[in-house]
Amino acid sequence: MPHAHDRAHCTPNLNALSYRFAVCCDDESMGAHVNSVLAGLRDHSAEGEGGADHSAEGEGARAPHRYSLTASPGRDGALDLARDGELVEPGLGPADAVGWLVWDVNRLAAEQSGQHLLFHAGGLEADGTGVLVPGASGSGKSTLTAGLARAGLGYLSDELVALELDGAVPGRLLPYPKAITLKPGSFAVLAEMGPDPLGEGRGGEWQVPVGDGTGRRVGEPCAPGFVIAPRYDGAAETALTSLSETEAFFTLALHAVNLLSHGASGSAALGRLAADCECYALTFSDLDEACALVLGLVDARVEPGSRRRGTG
Amino acid sequence: MDAEWPQAGSVPVRRQGASAVELDENVAVYDDVGQLLILLNSSAGSVWKLCDGSTTVDEIVEALGEAFPDQAPVIGDDVYETLRKLADMGLVAEAPGAPGAPGAPA
Repeated sequence: MPHAHDRAHCTPNLNALSYRFAVCCDDESMGAHVNSVLAGLRDHSAEGEGGADHSAEGEGARAPHRYSLTASPGRDGALDLARDGELVEPGLGPADAVGWLVWDVNRLAAEQSGQHLLFHAGGLEADGTGVLVPGASGSGKSTLTAGLARAGLGYLSDELVALELDGAVPGRLLPYPKAITLKPGSFAVLAEMGPDPLGEGRGGEWQVPVGDGTGRRVGEPCAPGFVIAPRYDGAAETALTSLSETEAFFTLALHAVNLLSHGASGSAALGRLAADCECYALTFSDLDEACALVLGLVDARVEPGSRRRGTG
Repeated sequence: MDAEWPQAGSVPVRRQGASAVELDENVAVYDDVGQLLILLNSSAGSVWKLCDGSTTVDEIVEALGEAFPDQAPVIGDDVYETLRKLADMGLVAEAPGAPGAPGAPA
């Protein structure tokens, strides 16, 4: 049986934190779309020495894991998603296939990046200062993160943010700039980010690309400065409330994906984050007002105007 | 642990593997056996910090009475109750070699 990459349109090597992979499609337009959706994850490490390798042989050639999206036999227009030759999900529509791919990458990024303290959170960067947006699904985390990226903050992630650990000492927040996954409830307030050219995929979602040419720049690794815990409530007034160290600690603990595996050093790092960052709960019904409140905090700390530096 | 524990001369010690993070006036204790995070309020946190394996319960009561003189009349009961709860959670025990420790001479 021919492999997808024998005649494939492949992405370059991609990094989802410590998970390295590439994706090959047998359809050219699907390949271009996947390349665009995952552009924020491109591995730029080789570019300093001779530039990025986009040759047919070079694309995705060094990635230890390889996905394929290939025509599903006997099912017109459907695709099979496989990873390292193993079927992940068969017979998917194009938008669903990309949704499944992003979901699988999220899962493996978390699984293979356990050396960091991982948060189920959005993340942004403003002039070297990090904003961590921890929240459960449905909290408005991705919507707020997307709104702040639209306003010019560097985008780190809308799903999984890694905190470097050196013992119990928290280091930098690391980018995992996957495509922003927007749910239908956010489409109206972030209309310019859609529609998804493939239609609404898994869960009715849009996968919104980030990086060069999208108007949403990818943030740099940065020191955490703010924790903003969002809660969308359509009936509430938009308001920021300061969190005590104790409240911030337990908010962070609730959204730390692998706290137990880091034990005492992980909880000590949470304590440092809670003590060193400005921590707030943000209840919001209006995205623009919510973003204005967060940007006000950021502007009070970073050089005025610098947060929009490098808007792509 | 003995149901009568602690006694005035008991010497409580924090269990190895239980670590604390100080937050505001509270203390979060991470228990690596039960894999739990436990929030101690300020008074329980004060007791916790004094469970150093060399301070007796009487001395803990005395130290906290001096630190919080307006609460001195109730501190004794609070300390005993807090130690019983911490022991129930497996976070403190009688210090090895202390009079009430398992195997210690009667």
